[in-house]
Amino acid sequence: MPSLIELAIAVFLVIGGVFVFVGSLGLAKLPDTMRRLHGPTKATTLGIGALLAASILFFLVMQNAGGIHEVLITMFLFLTAPVSGNLIAKAYIFRHKDIQESLPPAGDRGGWATLGEQKPAERAQRQPQRRDGPSAVE
Amino acid sequence: MRIALIVLIPFIGAVIPPLAIRAGRNVCTAATAAVTGLALLLLLTDVPAVFSGRVPGLRVDWLPQAGLSFSFFIDGLGLFFAGLILVIGLLIIIYARFYLGRTDSMGRFFCYLLLFQGSMVGIVLSDNILLLVVFWELTSLSSFLLIGYWHHLPASRAGARMALIVTGAGGLALLGGMLLLGHIAGTFELSELLTRGEVVKSSPLYLPTLILILLGAFTKSAQFPFHVWLPHAMAAPTPVSAYLHSATMVKAGVFLLARLWPVLSGTPEWFLIVSATGLVTMVVAAWIALFKDDLKALLAFSTVSHLGLMTMLLGFGTPFGVIAAVFHVLNHATFKAALFMSAGIVDHEAGTRDIRRLGGLRRLMPVTSSLAIVTAASMAGVPLFNGFLSKEMMLEEAAHTVYAGQAWLFPIFATAGALLSAAYSARLVWCVFLGPKRQDYPRHPHDPPLGMWLPVAVLASAVVVIGLMPAIVAGALVERTASAAVGGALPQFHLAIWHGLTPALFMSGFALTGGLALLWAYSSLERLRLALPRPDGMTLFQGSVAGLVRSSRFVLGSLADGGLPRDLAVIVLTTAGLALAGYVQAGPGPLAGTRAALPATIPAVTGWLVLLLACGLIVRHHYDRLAALIIISVIGLVVSLAFLQFSAPDLALTQISVEIVTTILLLLALNLLPRTTPDESSTAGKLGAGALATTVGVGVAALAYAVMTRGTETISDYHIEQSKPAGGGTNVVNVILVDFRGFDTFGEIIVLSIAALTIFALLDSALHGAARRRIRTLRFLPRAGDPHPLLLTVVTRVLLPLSLVVGIYVLLRGHNMPGGGFIAGLIVAIALLMQYMASGYVWAHRRARMDAHAMIGGGVMLAGAAGLASLAFGRPFLTSTFGYFHVPLFGEIELASAMAFDIGVFFTVVGTCILSLATLSRVEERAEQASKQTQVKTGTGAP
Repeated sequence: MPSLIELAIAVFLVIGGVFVFVGSLGLAKLPDTMRRLHGPTKATTLGIGALLAASILFFLVMQNAGGIHEVLITMFLFLTAPVSGNLIAKAYIFRHKDIQESLPPAGDRGGWATLGEQKPAERAQRQPQRRDGPSAVE
Repeated sequence: MRIALIVLIPFIGAVIPPLAIRAGRNVCTAATAAVTGLALLLLLTDVPAVFSGRVPGLRVDWLPQAGLSFSFFIDGLGLFFAGLILVIGLLIIIYARFYLGRTDSMGRFFCYLLLFQGSMVGIVLSDNILLLVVFWELTSLSSFLLIGYWHHLPASRAGARMALIVTGAGGLALLGGMLLLGHIAGTFELSELLTRGEVVKSSPLYLPTLILILLGAFTKSAQFPFHVWLPHAMAAPTPVSAYLHSATMVKAGVFLLARLWPVLSGTPEWFLIVSATGLVTMVVAAWIALFKDDLKALLAFSTVSHLGLMTMLLGFGTPFGVIAAVFHVLNHATFKAALFMSAGIVDHEAGTRDIRRLGGLRRLMPVTSSLAIVTAASMAGVPLFNGFLSKEMMLEEAAHTVYAGQAWLFPIFATAGALLSAAYSARLVWCVFLGPKRQDYPRHPHDPPLGMWLPVAVLASAVVVIGLMPAIVAGALVERTASAAVGGALPQFHLAIWHGLTPALFMSGFALTGGLALLWAYSSLERLRLALPRPDGMTLFQGSVAGLVRSSRFVLGSLADGGLPRDLAVIVLTTAGLALAGYVQAGPGPLAGTRAALPATIPAVTGWLVLLLACGLIVRHHYDRLAALIIISVIGLVVSLAFLQFSAPDLALTQISVEIVTTILLLLALNLLPRTTPDESSTAGKLGAGALATTVGVGVAALAYAVMTRGTETISDYHIEQSKPAGGGTNVVNVILVDFRGFDTFGEIIVLSIAALTIFALLDSALHGAARRRIRTLRFLPRAGDPHPLLLTVVTRVLLPLSLVVGIYVLLRGHNMPGGGFIAGLIVAIALLMQYMASGYVWAHRRARMDAHAMIGGGVMLAGAAGLASLAFGRPFLTSTFGYFHVPLFGEIELASAMAFDIGVFFTVVGTCILSLATLSRVEERAEQASKQTQVKTGTGAP
């Protein structure tokens, strides 16, 4: 049933295209960094995932030549996108006082790691002293 | 082989004294004397051969393409000089044993002395004129070491530097002259060259050759106006002055003139330049010597004067002049070395060598005084001593010399020189040894130990014996030497005290009486001298050196002011000028070639637009260093995509991994630098730079267009064709790297290692001294609480084995598929760099048990060994071989010897990246610690 496979490939392609586009649009249009992060990390990852699925199907069924390329690409993508997003978010929080004030409580004893394992209220009072804690160098 | 040994023994023996000194000063002296004695003994075994008319020689090719060969020969002239050098050397060694103080390092002194001796013997025995220049330079270097022996004294250092600069510059001129001479004559072997005098003299290049060679000879032999270095070289210990600056080294110039006499002399140019220089030197230096109060300075200027005398005699261009010159070389070496040693004894025992503070030493130091008086009389030209004989011959020659149509010029000035010579000799004897005894000597003078005056006595007895029986003692030697120098038959001559009532006798008598009269009128003469202009050699020299430095600073400063814009502008303008010249010379032609253009696809155009955009952004944001770095990495990515587009996966892989490594390292470096570049250039400067950049950019684009639209024959096709059959690999890029052009790659990895070591060396100093203090003042922005986020750390650690496997895979498949040692090295380096970045320097460094230095060194050595292995099979360096083997489980695989080379490249690359990173992060770590400590201090101090 080649037509059904073709249909599936087409659907994946369309989904992929839409999400990649939406992700890019979000990156360009959303108002601040934290919101913009959603675009490339979530939407685009999903979009590229769909495109890769289409690729796998196409080569497997239509060309009879399955490979692990797409699997590897997926793996690297799923490893790198969250890490980059995580780092950007951390840097953004660290650099912006207003964001730090509005953070919800971390919910355990440690507090927000980015801010030096301290609860925001305490940190605001004793910020200078805390810089000697275990930080840049192990 | 024996001849080469005469030269090599002092060089080999030079290592002995520094070792022998541990067994004591006497053993050290004995060992040094034994070395010289052995060389002398070998030389003496050749005496019968030379005197029977044969010329023993040896020739081993060294660099036949350049005409340089390791060849020696002994003829009369070489034998004479070599004998002089070794005999006087032996005496000097004994003298130096007693002269050097307890605190002087005797081993070092004798080591330098033997090095000098070897170089000097090398000069006089060389058969190859280029080899002669090599030894010539070696004497300059070893004399530099000897003059600067007391390197704690500023005068020693200044004198040594001056001697090195003057004689070294002369050596350079000599090299030029010798190359020209060899070019004209068609041979660099002296024994052949000496027979081709006519060819040389008729060549249009004769005059430049002559001038260059004379520059070399005149600087070495301290001829006016290059004599300035010799008096300052007297800062050396007296044995050095006696040996180098009276008996041997300064005679090298005279030797060279005598050696090349058959080739160069006999022309009007030779006569006009050489004889006049000699005459001026003789008179001027004798005049200066008369007024010197320092004993050694007096002797130094007297040496210059006598060297002028020998130069003048050789300049006459007559065989009789050569005989007189050779005879005077012998006589001067005996009496002047003895006088220098006597001056050293006086200095040693009386504590001063200032003539004004000495006098009456005849009674206190009878032995030294009588020896010194005998030798000084010889210097003055008193009959019955050897100096009289050669001076008489000189005056005889001068009396018959007509210079530029003037028959009176030479006789009068030669007599004046002799007169001044008598005067300063008389002053020396009178003021130091005769006269009343004084009470105010700095030390109580008395005769030195036997070892110190014995060498003087040997020379003084030679002075007397030659003076009394010249024909018997020196006749045969002088004849053999002079005939070798002339290169043919000599006229009839007879060394004798009495020649009848000749003009020379009257001139000589006049000179002696006049000299004594001058001494009588010394005080009024001194007033005359003070009224004359007296340029000081050292001031002039330092002035000219300072002028040279200033002018080169000016030239360099106008080319490169330390700023990048100026540097680049000079390079770009030079290149553009050359390109334009080439274009104009080739004549106008169409810009576009005939080759069809590729279609402009959407990806290509997009990439091109991104590149343009990125370049524009850099121009706009270049002052923000971080932004500039990010934009530059965009350019790198687009370029690697372009490589992919044009089917160059190797290049794309390399480009992308280099890009990553560079960006990481630059980020680390940027952390230590200011965030922005201050804007220092004016608007006009910016506009000018912009105009230049645009013009040149358009030019390069046009050039690229012109080249790319023409189908040219390149070597690429050959490489692609031969890759599999000749190199055994299907990846032509890798085969080129490791096989076809392996030598290039070998050079490149060495450059890479040097770069890494330079980074290490430069930044290692940042941990000490001024740089460290500056780094400690750096203030960093507060760091995040978790510098090593869990997510990143875990991901990089999980990826590490995978990346290493990929790296090894890429390395192994490199010969046939895209990959190879370079790319694999970069991939592995990135995998390791990621660990450093994610988990911190300390964590990674503690776990990475690898020595980056060893990796670099090992890599280069492995690559070198892989190249050398082919030598064992009689093939050229880096020849690669390959074969196909059947390995169980893997099947048929190909193994190439180039693989070992590639692994060497791999390790060098990994080591380079790790070393650069480790060095940078070490500095950074220190800086951050300092920054944190300061923050803590200020923090606790705040209310």
